[in-house]
Order: sequence, then structure tokens, then C-alpha cells
Amino acid sequence: MTALIEAREVALSFGETPALRGASFRAEAGEIVAVMGPSGSGKSTLLHCLAGILVPDSGEVKFAGDRIDQMSETRRSALRRDRFGFVFQFGQLVPELTAQENVALPLLLGGVRRTAAMSRAQEWFERLDLSGMEGRRSGELSGGQAQRVALARALVAQPQVLFADEPTGALDSLTGEHVMDLLVGSAKEQGTTVVLVTHEARVAAYADREIIVRDGRVAVPEGLAS
Amino acid sequence: MIRLGLRLAIAGGREAFVRLITIAAAVALGVGLVLATLAAMNAVHSLNHRYAWMNTGLAQATSADSVHADPLWWAPRQDYFDAQSIARIDLAATGPDSPMPPGLSRLPGPGEYFVSPKLHDLLAATPAEQLGDRYPGHEVGIIGDSALPSPTSLVIIIGHDPAEAAKLPEARQVSSIFGTSPEDCASCLVGYRAAGFDLILGVVAGALLFPVLIFIGTATRLTAARREQRYAAMRLIGATSGQISKMAVVEAAVAAVIGTFAGFAVFLLVRQPLAAIPFTGDPFYPEDMTLSVANVLWVALGVPVAALAVAWLSLRRVRVSPLGVTRRVTPKPPRAYRLIPLLAGLAWLYYLNGHRPRTSIEQVAVFLPGFLVVMSGLVIAGPWFTMVGSRLLARRAQTPSTLIAARRLSDNPQGGFRAVSGLVLALFVTSVAVGVIGTITSDHGSRTSRFDDGYVRHMFWAGDRYAGPTGTPAVTAQIEGVPGVTDVFFLRANPNFASEVPDPAAGPYVMACSDLARHPELGSCPAGAAVVAPTDFAVIGGGPAPVWPAVPVTPSDFEQLPIASIQVANDGSTGAVERTRTLLEAAYPDVRPPYSEKDFTTDSTKMFAGWVQLANVVILASLPIAGCSLAASVAGGLSDRKRPFSLLRLTGVSLRTLRRVVLLESVMPLLVVAAVAIVMGLVSAQLFLRAQMETTLVPPGWEYYVMVAAGLVLSLAVIAGTLPLLTRMTGPEVARNE
Amino acid sequence: MTVPLTLLGLLEREPSHGYELKRDYDAYFGRGRPLPFGQVYATLGRLARDGKVVISDVGKGDGPDRKRYIITEVGATEVDAWLTEPVEPEPHLQTILFSKVVLALMLGRPAEEYLDTQRRAHLQRMRELTEVRRTGGLVDALLADHSLFHLEADLRWIDLTAARLDSLAKEVRK
Repeated sequence: MTALIEAREVALSFGETPALRGASFRAEAGEIVAVMGPSGSGKSTLLHCLAGILVPDSGEVKFAGDRIDQMSETRRSALRRDRFGFVFQFGQLVPELTAQENVALPLLLGGVRRTAAMSRAQEWFERLDLSGMEGRRSGELSGGQAQRVALARALVAQPQVLFADEPTGALDSLTGEHVMDLLVGSAKEQGTTVVLVTHEARVAAYADREIIVRDGRVAVPEGLAS
Repeated sequence: MIRLGLRLAIAGGREAFVRLITIAAAVALGVGLVLATLAAMNAVHSLNHRYAWMNTGLAQATSADSVHADPLWWAPRQDYFDAQSIARIDLAATGPDSPMPPGLSRLPGPGEYFVSPKLHDLLAATPAEQLGDRYPGHEVGIIGDSALPSPTSLVIIIGHDPAEAAKLPEARQVSSIFGTSPEDCASCLVGYRAAGFDLILGVVAGALLFPVLIFIGTATRLTAARREQRYAAMRLIGATSGQISKMAVVEAAVAAVIGTFAGFAVFLLVRQPLAAIPFTGDPFYPEDMTLSVANVLWVALGVPVAALAVAWLSLRRVRVSPLGVTRRVTPKPPRAYRLIPLLAGLAWLYYLNGHRPRTSIEQVAVFLPGFLVVMSGLVIAGPWFTMVGSRLLARRAQTPSTLIAARRLSDNPQGGFRAVSGLVLALFVTSVAVGVIGTITSDHGSRTSRFDDGYVRHMFWAGDRYAGPTGTPAVTAQIEGVPGVTDVFFLRANPNFASEVPDPAAGPYVMACSDLARHPELGSCPAGAAVVAPTDFAVIGGGPAPVWPAVPVTPSDFEQLPIASIQVANDGSTGAVERTRTLLEAAYPDVRPPYSEKDFTTDSTKMFAGWVQLANVVILASLPIAGCSLAASVAGGLSDRKRPFSLLRLTGVSLRTLRRVVLLESVMPLLVVAAVAIVMGLVSAQLFLRAQMETTLVPPGWEYYVMVAAGLVLSLAVIAGTLPLLTRMTGPEVARNE
Repeated sequence: MTVPLTLLGLLEREPSHGYELKRDYDAYFGRGRPLPFGQVYATLGRLARDGKVVISDVGKGDGPDRKRYIITEVGATEVDAWLTEPVEPEPHLQTILFSKVVLALMLGRPAEEYLDTQRRAHLQRMRELTEVRRTGGLVDALLADHSLFHLEADLRWIDLTAARLDSLAKEVRK
């Protein structure tokens, strides 16, 4: 199988501080890969490189065979918008919009008519145990609910890759598990590839396999597990 | 604590510095405005005081004026050149101890005159046959500033023989020069009632100060979250709220003190250009734009104190909680009862139709509060309008940017409106001013269609009857020789006219049908009539030319009647009008000077033009201020949503979309409430015109729309100026370093 | 069951007397439960019988203290295999894991790799348990949860130890 998303010998420094020193990564279509490692190891930076948010100083990043690191910012933005979904630790909902509008946002950005976008967003509320929360604002949602809304928003446009950066970082274990159950369940159902950055083993255990980043390198060669 | 506060204010990093400078700038603007208004008020008083001496002989002398043994012959009159008013005083001393008007080194002897500097220039620049020949004698000096209300005043003081002066119209003997300012004297005819001006200047200052206060408030709240975090952290480690308040106040005090100093500098800068605005009809002497010690003290102490109060108020949240910024709560939506003051103000203006008080002071007292209530009503109702508009927009939104912007506004319409409220008030004031003034001007324009600028009229009214020469005076031929003059004809005293028994059929004067036949625009004769009695040519235009009633006077008898008025038709050129006027004045020095219709129209529109100019100052000054608070609040809104916006950008939302959100959410309230302000302004103007002038609003011309559009474009530019901030604030590094 | 392998590991460092082995064992692995002399010699005897150690007489006089034990090829291979092989991921592995890490450090072997291998094994087990939890009934899920939390605790310990390997190495090699 060829990798859907792949990084080879990626290096990146912020000023004098090296964040990545030749990290490699690959994930196949439909695969859920956890990226683990201690704080400051460079795992978030690796995710940002894979998602085309950051451009590595050296090495290459490929998505479906195309070099992301050589694309223009506009093309990378379009790629992120159309092919990727994102879930972050917290604070990703636009506070003024209702939960449903937040979920519909990617569709609206993609030019879907409002009524259609809203009804497609509506489906996700049932799917993610959020029925009745459609009209709430982010301030009126609990942490777990907000994360599930964010998950719905990340998945509503049916991305090929879902990037999740500590998606349960701000949640207690029960709530976090609920979110992870839904994340993994939905991703499997849709065949979405997931790159899951976490420092928690129990979150990483949801993945098909894990890699460990240490000091800007992938410490555990892949392929040993599974 | 105070030293720590000082350190934080001055060396608290770039953010603190920017805030310091912004608050200081806001305070400086406020101080400058207050000072300029106070100075303008003082200038009105000074200007008025310089008018005092012109009331000599017109107003009852007071005990304050020093009485002289030898009375002075005194004959004031108003003359015109090219529609500019000239104050002409003919006088003659009856002895060595005659009173002397201000600004003169000595009284002019017979055949001598003193002129104001501007008139001196005008005399030098104008052919004598148009102006100089009106005045007997020669110039012997310049009138000093103390006698001139304005640097542009045209004044001439002509000396005569006492016997000659006694024959002049309205000549009287005075033994003192009037010295009381017109604002303190009920019988004064020249000058202004200052109370009205103070009130209007107060309103103007209010209209300008309001945006400034909003700006100070916005600037204080700028990066408030960050600062609140800092203070909250200090509270957490045990700083008392008193200590925190002290620190905050010190920070604000530094800004206020800098701002106050800068404000005085701003005032000194704008003093000169402000003095040049002819808002009483004439510009001020710059040296009249002065401040009293009390003014200076009040402003220098009052403004910093007010700024401290604002700072103290804006931090009251921190004084309560050491846990820092609380979770975002949606403020209560504004209710429809916010419309009540606005509607009440409009109802009041509506009610005044038919209930208008008699005197102008009383009129100011009823109309001005009405406008003030409408203005404050607009500010109170603004959030409600913003909310209604944004809800409508949110319902119809198709693009995410519209949706986000509309939702944000309906979430916090108060905040959205606050940013544009200054601008909205400016638009309201402009709409009222332009509506009222435009209508009055246009009414003036349409009123004199029958008897327009191309006529010069010279009346021979002797107090109770017309007593001009009979036959055809010698000056007729001279006038007919003036290039541009097309016709000279006479209105003569109606022999059947008795002033005690007013009879419309027997008007005060008669006119030959042979003359009238050459001027069909003035009316016509009934068939077979030779002489008719017209009443007034200056009727409101538009209707058909009237047929005047015939009078039983034969053409030969007509020639023998005394002339009531010499009518000179001409092409309206300055040369023709002023040469005719000069010839007539020289031929008949002892009657009131001739006039053209344009003299009056210009005279009354000049003051309105002054108000228009003032309205322009208001809008031009409030625009940048309102723009600044707009920018500050846009920036504040951005830092509020730094994280969701930067994460949206990470997920591939283009900067363009985010820019559109920012633009929309400031432009939306701007447009909605601007539309409301314009409509309310024009409605108020219409209500005022109906009640006060019994006329109907004439829609404003394109200049008005250009100005409004320019204001809006400027605001857009200001908002656009904050967009680079968006790029910086939502960069990937923001999302990384959470 | 770890005592024989631990003693073998200590012997791989250097040939030692029985009392030296007991002293080192107590210092690094005993933690309040000293190894009885009897057990040391019994274990060494068994190891010698299986050919994993040989005894050399170098000291004077007789008695157990005179004997020095030397690890054989067989013994070394067994230690190596044991260190490399991850422990079956079950709760309460602390003693074994700890022994392995300390021994690896003492022997200058790549302890980090051992930890990584162990982490992988743990994660694999956690994955299986997570799958049980996600698909099974509530009782299964609760039981799986219990194991998961314990495994997680071990993993945290592994992470922490991995982060402190340098200091630990200094400590055991001094």
C-alpha cells in the first residue's frame, strides 16, 4: 500500500531552536496513527508540517503523492480546507455562532447553500450525541460537548485526513473517552485517516499504531507494532 | 505601588505603550476640543463687544457710557458692495468735547473719512465709479481693530459739517458712545444675543466631545483582557484592590497628563484655522480666540480627573475578582423600549408645529432640547437598530463571513454600535444642518424670481410718505449710460394712498403701463389702463404674473407725481449694479442707500453658510475620532477572538474570509445606523422647518451625499487599516503558543 | 522468578562473591526486603548446576565467601534475551521492569530501547483492551478499564524513567 500522507527526514527550526531534526512518518488511507512523545519533543510541529501549516526547512512532506512542502500558501490553505479536518485541544469554536452554525462553517466556506449546510450539520448532532445542543453557543457548552462539536466540524466536510492535536487534553478521562470513541468510530466509518497527537497512552491506545517522537526524531521505527 | 504603576505605564512593553499613547491622544483631542469651544465662546463675546459702539443712537445710552458736553451728529446706515454689507457712519462734531467712537485717533473733519483695513483694500482695488465716489471727501486713516467685529468687517466713518450732517437720514445727536455689549442690551439692533450662540456652541462641542469620550473609553478598554490578567495575577498574590486601583489610576493619570499637555498644543494649532471659520457670518480675530485663567484651570484639572474616573470605572471588574477574566457571557439583548427617547424627541418636534413660541430665545429653548433628545435617543436606540439589522442579516446570510459578522453583532450590538456611535451623531447633525440650511437657501432662491439680482431699487421714503423728486431726474441719463443697464423706470407715490387707511386696491405707489409693458415678468395692465398700482414685486415665485389694478391717473399727471422708487434693470453684473448704486448714492446722499435683492439674500445666507461650515467642521472632526474608536474597537474584537480565528486560519480558512468578517461586522452597524441617522436627521429637519419656517424640506444636493460617502469611505479606510493586525494576530505561531 | 536473572545480570557486570551479589541486590533491587543469604547461595547453586555460572576459587580458606562466581556464555545469552524481551504487559510489573532497566544501565546496554520495546508491548495490550472496551459489554469494559488504568500507570512510569535514564545511569554506575 502506498502512504496517503508521508513525511521524510523532515527538519524544522524556530530561530535557533530545532524542533524537528529529521523525522519521518507515514500513514495509509484509513489508518489511525498516534504520535506520542513528551512535551517539547516536536510532535505538534510534526503534525503542523504534515498538515501543511508549517513548511519544513528540509525533507519532504507528501499527501496523496503531491509534495505539500512545495505548494504555495494558498494551495496549502485550500488543501487544509478541502481535504483535512482539525480538532485541537480547546477554543476552536467561533464564540458568536451557534453549535450548528459552527459545524456548518466548513460547508459554507466550501460554497454549500446555507439550508443544505445546516441540515448536513444537523445529522452530525445525532451522530455525536449532541441532539438538542444545536442552538447553543460555545460558552453554553461543556468541554466535552464543545469538543464533540469541534469533531463534527472537522468531519462534516468528509476530509481525507483528520488531524487531532491533544483532542482530549482539556477533558477528564470519562469525557475524553467519549470523545475518542466518537472520533475513532466516525473516522473508521468514513475511512478517514487520523493523525492523533497525544501524550496520553490511553488516548494513543485508540490508534492502530503509534510512533514516538523524542528530541525531534521519531524514536520508535514504525512497523514493529500491529 | 505608585512607582510600580508608573513603571508599568511607561516601560510596560509595547502594548502598554500603545495604549498609553492612544489614551493620551484621545485625551488630547478632547482637551483641544473643549479649549477650542471655550475659546470660540470667548471670541463670540469679544466680537459682540466690538459691535457695541455701532448701537450708538440706536440703543438707550446707559450710565456706564461717559457723557460729553458737545453732542455728535450721528447717522448710521447700511450700504452694500457686491452683496457685502458696509457699515457707514456719517458724523459731525459740534464742539471740541464730542464723543469719539473706538478705533479712531481723532474724529474725521468735514471731507475726511476713516475706513477699516478691508474697506481700504476694497477701495483701492475697485474703480471709484463703482464704490469710492459714494463717499464724500478723502481717506485720512484706518479704523483700529477695537472698533471692528471681524478682520473682514467693512466700516467707514465719514466726517461732515454739522449742518450737512443734520440733514442725513436717521441723523441724531448723541452725547456718548454706546459701550455695552449687545448680549446685555435688549434694545441693541446690531450684534448677537450671545445666549443663543453659547447654547449652539455647547451643542457642537457636545457633538464633538461625545465621540472623543467614546474614544477614550475604547482606548482604555484596548487590550483590557491582557491587562486585567496582569492585575488579576497581582490580586491573586495578595495585592489589595486598593493597591490595584492606585496602579491603574497612576497609569491612566500618566496618559491623561500627557494628553492634557498635548491638548493645549492641539488648541494652539487649530486656533488660527478655527478663527477663520465665519460661523457668525464673519471670521474671528485670532486674538479673540482666547482662554480665561478659569477656562485653563478647569480644563487642565477637569479632564485628567475625568480620565481617571473612566480608568477607575473600566477596571471595576478586576477590583472584585482575583480570578481574572470570567467566562464570556452574552449580554442581554437591547429591548425595543430603547426607542422611546427617540420617538419622544420626534413627537416633541412634531408637536411644536403650531405651538412655536414667539421670541427667538424661546424658540431656541424649545427646539434645541428637542434635537438633543432626538440625538441622545439615537444613541440609546442605536444598539437596538444594530441588533435588528444584524438579526435580519444573520437570517439571510449565505456566506460564512456574513454569518459570523451578523452573529457577532446580534450577540453584542452595544459593542458594535459603540464603535460607530460618534460617526452616527456626526451624520445626524450634518443631515439636520444640511436639510435645514439647504431648504432655507433654496426657498430664498425661489422667492425672488420676479425681481431678481438684475434690479437696483432706490426708495424715497420720508418717514410717512414717498417724497422723491418729480419728473425725470438728471441722474437717469447717467444711469442709462452705465454698461449693463437695460432700463430705468420709476414707481411714483400713489396720490390716493393714505397710510392710515390701508386699501389694497390703492397701493402705496403707481407705475406707468408703458414701463410695465417692457417688464412682463412683473405683471401686466388691464386693457386700456395707462397707470396701475402694483403692490409688491417680491412675491414668492412660481405663480403667473399678476394683473395690477388700474388707477385713475393720466400719463402726464403721472410724470408730476413724486418718485417713490427708482428701479434700475440691469444684467446683474457687479459693475452695472455698483456703478448704478454709486451714481444713486452720490445723487441722493440724504436718503437711505439703494439696494439690490441679492444684498439681502446673501446677507441672510451668509450666516447659514457659517453654520454649514460649522456642521462640516463637526463631521470632519468627528469622522477621524469616530474612525479611531472604530479602529480601536475592531482591534479589541480581534484580540477577543484571537484563538478561534487563528485556528480557523489553520484549518484552511483564507485570510480573505476573515478580513471580510472583520470588515462586515464594523460596516454593518455603520450602514444600518448611518441610514437611521440620516433619515432621523432629515425627518427632524423637516419637522423643524414645518414648525419654524412653515416650509417643506428640500432634499439635499449631491454635495451632501458626497460628504456622507466620503465619511463612510474614510471609516472603511480606518477599518481596513486594522486588517494587517488580523494577519499578525492569527498567524500559526499564535495557535502554537497557546 | 526475577532473582536468578537479576543475579546473573549482576554477574555479567563482573565476577563477584556471593556476599557482594547480596549487597548489590539489596542496594538496587531489595528495597526493604533483603535477600536472605540462603536464597542467594541456593540460587547460585542452581545456576551453576544449569551451567549458567562457574565457580572459581581464588580466595583463601574455605566457606562460601571464598567462592567467586563467573557468568558463562549460556548465562550471558539468557540475560541478554531476558533484557531484550518485553515483559508480558500485565499490571504490577514494576519490580521486573525496574530490575531490567537498572541492570541494563549497569551493563551499559541500551536501556532506552528496552523501555521503548516495553512501551510498545504495553500499548499493544492497551489497544486490545480498548477494543474490548469499545465492543464488549459493560462488565468487560469495566474490567478492561481496570487493566487499562494500571497499564497506563506502568507506561507513565516507563515514560518518567525514560526521561531520567541519564541520572539513573550515573547513580548505578558510581
